Order: sequence, then structure tokens, then C-alpha cells
Amino acid sequence: MTGFLQQAITGLMIGSLYALVAASIVLVYKATHVVSLAHGQLVAFGALFFWLFLGGLGLPFWMGLIPAFFLTALIGLLIERLTLRPLIGQPLIAAFLMTFAIFIALEGVFVLYLKGQTRALPTFLPEGNLDISGLSIPINQLISFFVAILLFAAVSLIFKYTKLGLGMRATAEDHRLAQSTGITVRNIFSYIWILSAVVAAIAGIATANVMDIYYMLPYIGINGLIVAICGGLDSLLGALVVGLLLGVVENVGAAYLDPIVGGGVKDVVGYVVLLLVLLIKPYGLFGLVRIERI
Amino acid sequence: MRPCGVFDKSYALDLAIIRTWQHWVILISALILLFFFPLFGSYYIISFMNYLAISVIVGLGLQIVSGYCGQISFGQAAFMAIGAYTSAILTIKFGFSFWIALPLSGIMAGAVGIIGGAPSLRIKGMYLAMATIAIHFVVIWLILHMEITGSFKGLFPPPPSLGGFEFDTDERMFYIIMTVMVIMTYAARNLVRSKAGRAFVAIRDNDLAGEVMGVNLYYYKLLAFFISCFYAGIAGSLWGHLITVVNTEQFTLFHALEYIGMLIIGGMGSIPGVFFGVLFIRILNELVMFASPVLAKAVPWLGTSPAAALGLSAFGLALIIFLIFEPRGLAHRWEIFKASYRLYPFAH
Repeated sequence: MTGFLQQAITGLMIGSLYALVAASIVLVYKATHVVSLAHGQLVAFGALFFWLFLGGLGLPFWMGLIPAFFLTALIGLLIERLTLRPLIGQPLIAAFLMTFAIFIALEGVFVLYLKGQTRALPTFLPEGNLDISGLSIPINQLISFFVAILLFAAVSLIFKYTKLGLGMRATAEDHRLAQSTGITVRNIFSYIWILSAVVAAIAGIATANVMDIYYMLPYIGINGLIVAICGGLDSLLGALVVGLLLGVVENVGAAYLDPIVGGGVKDVVGYVVLLLVLLIKPYGLFGLVRIERI
Repeated sequence: MRPCGVFDKSYALDLAIIRTWQHWVILISALILLFFFPLFGSYYIISFMNYLAISVIVGLGLQIVSGYCGQISFGQAAFMAIGAYTSAILTIKFGFSFWIALPLSGIMAGAVGIIGGAPSLRIKGMYLAMATIAIHFVVIWLILHMEITGSFKGLFPPPPSLGGFEFDTDERMFYIIMTVMVIMTYAARNLVRSKAGRAFVAIRDNDLAGEVMGVNLYYYKLLAFFISCFYAGIAGSLWGHLITVVNTEQFTLFHALEYIGMLIIGGMGSIPGVFFGVLFIRILNELVMFASPVLAKAVPWLGTSPAAALGLSAFGLALIIFLIFEPRGLAHRWEIFKASYRLYPFAH
């Protein structure tokens, strides 16, 4: 039982990372109905910028964090301005394909910068393990777990109670209607990309905290997308719940199934879960079911 | 658009793909040129053309399911892998000849494609694209974890032979690959204007409206997936016997993304578009390969071997540019060009 709990808790920690990546994707979807594959790159670049300031230049934690957020937000803003804005009015699948083109272009830059090496973040969170009746939890992962939960709460509150959040919800519902009530839809698009890029940067930093920065890091964006879709693309709660669940399922599944099939279960669990969810509940577990008109 | 002065005087003419004798001359001379090409082409060009032709076959399949039927599929590399592995297993483990294994691998990939396309019955658009990414990873994972596929080492299929004649060089394989490509292109060109092709287009434009008009969605969506994966399987089999080694490194998600990119650049919903897209992407990649050592010398920051990364960025940038400025692809430009030279002295 302790073994199971230990695996589940490790899974929760990993799951909180997935949930964060998914949250950044859900944010963009909620306001613009664009499903973004490019967020994996925002995550990776957020981590890379943070490493540049912390590991490369040796700046203190806060001095590294703010410029890393700033630069990632800049990339997000540029993506929106240069590539997605010209596509307004075209089918949404074009925007999806555009984000995948951005993913590939930025992947090239990322690989070019890393040159096949890995980068490890210097430790910036307290080390050591927290022992609770036989279960050990790394403290730094625990901190990023709680940061993730807090961030979710903050973003949900922004969406629910601020004027900006109201504007975003209105924009998601209908662009033209939102515009006629005095909301500047273009600005909403920019804000949401900045917000989601910052969330992605936090996700990246939290991810780089538990693993090295290497060329596969952007592919966490695919895991994030799986979580976002399984949870329902317009549901932050879904992203959180499914993200944590996926982490647990991956870890527990790997622990119990790996000896039977000979390893590698972790790589495929997410995809199997995605296929099952899509077949049973195509709009995700917490998603809004939309009825289509001809 | 017809050239000036060409009228369809009979039903047969109305149906014909090739309408004028000039077209016949161009087509036949192009085919003759193609099949005598190994006599004067260099080894590099011939192996490059083999690669192009196999990409064209995969691209044609993808064009049918994504360009015509509108079901965006990122699983094409995995289905190609199924074809390659089926063919390799049949020839190595069961002693089949290549000529039987080739169609069987297409059918095997198609059969798996029907299972893979099953989610399309419930979901569409971006959701389906994600489902096909999931199918890609599941298929590759299964291949890596089965005994019969040789796991990480892969398989080593023999080159095909016919009556003692071994097709063991790129020049010799050239004839098989080009013949298959020509047949497959002809089949695809005809398929998309048949009843099935029209049903595909109806599903792409609006599936609900199509269903109301009497298109059997389940049947035609699965048919589109079967045909698309059949093409991928055939291409995979040819690929395996061409380079005589098959492993999962050759069928990554990036390859699947590349095929979708070819369609975007070439033009969705157009058979010539596949050729344009394949040529554009492959030549772009070769150019980057040639340019990158020079660039690396000029800009030391790039490191010693930036070819792969630069190729990625160039591909991504090309896609972005096409999506913004010419979402209908090179095929659309080609249509504009054709119309303008047929009308030449006049503007319209």
C-alpha cells in the first residue's frame, strides 16, 4: 500500500506539471478558440530563459524570474501578432496547423541553441525530502505542486471576477457581439497570449526543476494538449483534475505494468487515455458539449 | 479551364483527364524520360528521386484522407511503418516473395487504418488530429515492444528479385518505385472524381450536410482511411526494400508532420499539389543541407552541424509563410498560371 501511495504522490507531482501546461493551452482556447500545439515551445523557452539568467548569468532567483516571464510573454505576443492574427476569419483548423508550424520552427531554434547538450537548472528551491509516515516527498516538487494549485486558483479568479476575465469570456462566446459591447477583441487576444505564455513559463521552470532541459522538453506540450483535451478544452478545472490524474495513472501504471510488458508503459499511457476519452466523451470530461448547426 | 478552341464534342471527351494531343505528347514523353532517367542520372539524383517518389505515394494517401475527405491525420508515418514491417516480416520470417508482400502490406496497413480511423466517426477536426497523434505513438510503441518486429534493432528485408534478377541497387529499384508511383497517381486521380471522391469532398465541406444528402458517413470516412493507409503501407514496403533496413527511427512523429506540411505547401485537395509539396519540402531540405556547412563556417554560434535544426526551422517558416500568404498552396498558383497562359493575349 505504501508503495502504491508513494507512486501516486510522485505521479501527483508530475501531474501538476502537466496540469500547468494544459492550463496555458486552455487559457488560449477559452478566449480565442485556437488549440495550440506551440505551447510546448513556450514551456521550453521559459525554462531556457530562466536557465540563461540563473545558470548562465548567475543572477538571483527573482532577478531571473521576471525577465524570463517577460521574454516568454514577448514570444507569446509575437506568435499572436505575426502568425495568428492574419488567420482571423479563416477556419480554426488553419490556426491549429499554424501553431504546429510554429512548434516546428521554434523547435529548430531550440535544438540549435542546445546543440545536443542538456542544461540543468541550479537549485533554487530548498532541497531534501519530507517524510510522512513512510512516504517521502521531495520538498522542491511539493513547492512547485502548491505553486501550480495557487496559479490555477488565481487564473480561475481572474476569469471569474475581473473585468478583463469577463471580456475574455465574452470574446470566447462571440467575437462580433463582444466587439459591439465595447470590448477590444484584438487586445483581448494579446492579453490572453501574454497570460498563457507566463503560465507556460512557470510550467517550464517547474518542469526544469525536476528534469534537465534537453531537446525533448518541448514535447511536454503534447502531454499538455492530451490533458487539455481529456479535461475538456474550455475547462480549467478539467485541466487540473485530469492533469493530476494522468500523472498518477502514468506513474502507477508504469510501476505495475512495466514488469508485465517489459518497460515503456509511461510513454504510451497518456495516448491510450486520450483515445479512450475521445471515444467515450469527445468533448472531454469537463468540457462544454457544443451542438453544431448545418 | 479548357484551352481556347477545345470543345467537348462527346461524352468520352467530357470525361477524359487528358483532352488534347499536346497533353498526350507531354505525358508520354515525360513517362519515357522518367523511365530512361537512370541511364544518364547520377547516383545521388536517382536515390533522391526514389525518396521523392515514395514521399509522393504517402502524400497521395494523405491527400485523399486529409485534402479530400477533410480528416486531418498525423498518423501517416505510423501506417507507413506498419507497411514496412509487414512486408519485412512476410519476406524474412515467412518467405513470401516481395511481389506478394507489397500488396499485402498495403492491405495490412489499410486494415489497421480502419481501426485507427474509427475515432473519426465520433470526432473531427483538431480532436481527430490529436487522436491520430495518439494512434501514432501507440503503434510505434507496439512495434518496439513486440518480438516479431525485432524491437529496437529493427528488421533487414532483402531487396526484391524477379526470376533471378535482383533489384539490389537504387537504379534497379527506381523502376519498381516509379511504376508503382505512376499507377498510384493514376488511381488517385481517378478515385477523387468517382462517386467515392465526391462523397469525400462532401464530407470535407460539411459532414452533417453531406449526411443529409445521403452520404454514408461511416462507410466513406473509413474508406478514406483505408485508402490513405493502403497508400502509406505500399510506400512503407517499398521504402523497407529500398534501403533494406527498417526501424522505428525512420517513422517518427516528425515525419508525419512533414507529410501534412507537404500538403499545406502543395495545396490541400489537389493531386498535383502533392507533387509540388513533396518537391518543395525535399528540395528545401537539400538546400539547407548544402547551405548549412557554409553557414556554420560564417556564423560560429551555430555550432558544427546545424543542418538538422536549420532544416526544422526552414520547414516551419515555410509553413508559416504559406499559411499566411497562400493557404491554398502551390497548386493554386499552378492553376492561375495555367489559366493565364491558355488565355494568353487576353486578361480573362
